Amino acid sequence: MTTIDGANVRKLVIACDAGMGSSAMLAGTVRKQLAAKGVTVEHTPVAQIPADADLVLTHAGLADRARGVAGDIPVVPFQLFLGDPAVTKVVAAIQQGTTVDV
Amino acid sequence: MSDGRAAGPAALLVPDAIRLHERAAGKADAIRACGEVLVATGAVAPEYVPAMLEREESVSTYIGEGVAIPHATLAGKAAVRRDALCFLRFPDGVDWDGETVTVCIGIAAVGDGHLDILAELAQILLDPERAAALREATTPDRVLAMLTPAPEDDPTGPDDGAAPAERGER
Repeated sequence: MTTIDGANVRKLVIACDAGMGSSAMLAGTVRKQLAAKGVTVEHTPVAQIPADADLVLTHAGLADRARGVAGDIPVVPFQLFLGDPAVTKVVAAIQQGTTVDV
Repeated sequence: MSDGRAAGPAALLVPDAIRLHERAAGKADAIRACGEVLVATGAVAPEYVPAMLEREESVSTYIGEGVAIPHATLAGKAAVRRDALCFLRFPDGVDWDGETVTVCIGIAAVGDGHLDILAELAQILLDPERAAALREATTPDRVLAMLTPAPEDDPTGPDDGAAPAERGER
């Protein structure tokens, strides 16, 4: 278990396979939710997770691949592209500057 | 007016790519049908279709509220000729790993021009009433209207500048 401090997240990456579909849609939603906090939200293919990301969200089926690329960057897996509780928790922590265990 | 931005919803989702009375025997059949519409409308080369099926095997593209958004793997991007979407409605539903899918929005994209539509789709699906209305839309015009973001809702915004252009320069 890793504790993430929402106040320290400046760049959040949503990783998927091709970056054209489901993760792109989730990125659009999260970007809107975090726009007021000035957090950069990007969506990338798993293999291209940028090294300066503070946090990676990815579908559970891709989490192992994402962890292999992300190194020390925390990877939070989710199951649902819309309304996933793990994503909701992370977004709330960033919005409120609180910590969250993932 | 400005040509700088990617094609708008109407260019990405052409009337010919909106099919409202489809039938499919199963998930793979429905994905193939989406792929065939993307091929028929000139958006992708035929190699794109197997890449869509491959993608579905790794992670389902079911996103909730009876909607799936099939698209290819990273490898499939080479087969994209122009960024495009298709909208296939299966009134009888399609079994999607235990979920019932009524609407498949097939995606072919190398750029980001379609993201406004996807963002709008996400907003629709988070509202059960609008999601039902999308599943029950029976004309292409209605489908396109629902997926076209309202102007004030533009998620990309006019620029990245810090100050709103209230009274920028004199």
